[in-house]
Amino acid sequence: MLEKIALIFNYSIIKTTIRYSTPILYAALGVLITQQANMLNVGVEGMMLSGAFTAIAVSYFTGNWFLALIAAIIVGIILAIIMAFAHLKYDADIIVVGVAINLLSLALTRFLLNNVLGASGFFRSPYIVPIPKVHFDFLTKNDVINTLFNNYSMFEIIGIMLVFIIWFLLFKTVWGLRVRSVGLFPQAAETAGINVYKLKFSTMIFSGLLGGMAGAHLSLGYSKLFVENMTGGKGLMGVAAMFFGGGDPIFTWVGCLIFGFTDSVGSRLQPYGLPSQFVLMFPYITTVLFLTLSMIRRIRRERIEKSSLK
Amino acid sequence: MRRSSYLNLLITIIISLIAGGIIMILLGHNPFKVYAELFKGAFIGKFNIGNTLGRFVPILLTAIAFAISFKVSVFNAGVEGELYLGAIAAAWAGFAIQGLPKVLHILVCMIVATIVGALWAAVPGVLKAYYRVNEICTTLLLNYVAIFFTSYLVNNQLSSHTGIPQTPKVLPSATLTMILKPSKANIGIFITLAVLLFVYWLIHYTTLGYKIRSVGSNPFFSDYVGIGTKKIIVIGMLISGGIGGLAGGIESLGTYNRFLDGFSQFIAFDGMLASLIARNNIKMIFIIALFLASLKNGALGMERFTSVPKSIVDAIIAIFILLTSLEGLINIRRKVKTIEA
Repeated sequence: MLEKIALIFNYSIIKTTIRYSTPILYAALGVLITQQANMLNVGVEGMMLSGAFTAIAVSYFTGNWFLALIAAIIVGIILAIIMAFAHLKYDADIIVVGVAINLLSLALTRFLLNNVLGASGFFRSPYIVPIPKVHFDFLTKNDVINTLFNNYSMFEIIGIMLVFIIWFLLFKTVWGLRVRSVGLFPQAAETAGINVYKLKFSTMIFSGLLGGMAGAHLSLGYSKLFVENMTGGKGLMGVAAMFFGGGDPIFTWVGCLIFGFTDSVGSRLQPYGLPSQFVLMFPYITTVLFLTLSMIRRIRRERIEKSSLK
Repeated sequence: MRRSSYLNLLITIIISLIAGGIIMILLGHNPFKVYAELFKGAFIGKFNIGNTLGRFVPILLTAIAFAISFKVSVFNAGVEGELYLGAIAAAWAGFAIQGLPKVLHILVCMIVATIVGALWAAVPGVLKAYYRVNEICTTLLLNYVAIFFTSYLVNNQLSSHTGIPQTPKVLPSATLTMILKPSKANIGIFITLAVLLFVYWLIHYTTLGYKIRSVGSNPFFSDYVGIGTKKIIVIGMLISGGIGGLAGGIESLGTYNRFLDGFSQFIAFDGMLASLIARNNIKMIFIIALFLASLKNGALGMERFTSVPKSIVDAIIAIFILLTSLEGLINIRRKVKTIEA
């Protein structure tokens, strides 16, 4: 029994955790930035899906992963601009626009998959060039250190760096301060001379960039294929991670890691007889539990604040 | 609803169709011919119109389900999950319970489906009412849980052990009578219309409906006057989930006569769209649901006769939603009136 546990929970789970959590992390950071400006970008799922498709298609046609990445980012930003226009200029409800973008991405990617790539359901080809992995030769000497620190995809490393970069941007720069003030009290921000419209627009664009990157990593990062509806709720897990983190990038990252962890444990449990559908359910149930726990925590905190004598 | 909103809707429909036409031209097709095939595929012929009605039933029901939850300000995106669970519950009751006369058997199956759907919706409902958990995330995620769970059941306990993942066929005493054979229409349409009337009566002519509307417009005031807002939110979700489950039950018993793994290609989202577009006005939902159902069914005919793929219709529908959500866009008349005043 103990050897089985050792097989599931060995040190290589750290790597799979980081691997599974990275796309969710990018999505979560995208949602985080707009959430600080009080916009819930549920369209990040559509941005991811479109980015994933664009990345695969461009990589297939040009053989260059960097071009694919740029194309995915551009597509993500285009969708973000559509969302921003609809919400900021024409007063559409941000959630409705987000859902519309998700459905549009689903329909367009399916259509383009069938007609441009000529495939049905999924697309795989030896011509697709993936995002390179970072490999250090000097680390191959020690087995443990090799597994832990070597052969990460570039994006996984950038993802971790982004957590700290975004933390810095949000809490230590003027732009970040303005974003947060717009999110907390837009009228006061307007009085102080901040252009609320432009600032919210810029957060959406940032979100589109991250969403596109998330998608590019999902399809080009390690699986090298595109499947219809490949995001399967990962954007929403990003939203959940953001709620779990309470708007703080570092805690959001912790949330993403926890999702990645449950995902890895789930897939490791499969050869021991757990039906595949339950494994697939794991991350979703965990997400819901997490959302609940973070809200319970928040309500408890608010209740304590309200009842305290100040 | 004022006449200008019907006009807005018409303008939006026309713009979306034009956008779709442009895409078709870019692909090298004649848009008029394509739209003609679309119309034919939706309405001309007993088979076509029957299938359109068959698609209309679940879209209308899921739209109603979504509209009710929206009336208590809950964005129940989990109707798809309720659909699946209701469907498998009805299918199980359909083949597991034997020896009942037809009317009773169908009634039992429908009740089972409704209860299962309601309970599933109660989870995010309670989470939203008592813990303010964002219901969009929970409902969307629980969709996947429901889909996977039914997939597990249909592949293991409830399997018919044929090659395809499906339950055994429901007993003839539980199938809904087909009308307009050989299409997929069945008497579920009458059940649906009855539900529509019932919901309209409930929301506008009962105390519970009044409480629901009150909680939706102003939860704080409702609390102040003593309407238990939290309870009403959960009740709203129960009704919403129940109708979603019922929709699944009708699909199982009428359209397929069994539960099929993955039978719904996100039907509930079409219903959700119909409801959002109609601004949750129960009268408009009927029209929009019919519009969406005919688009989707016509798309099949269109694909067969013109080689234009179905996903174009999905894209048109998505553009349509995007345009309708732009409330500030097509307000020409209103703007002119306020300037004059």
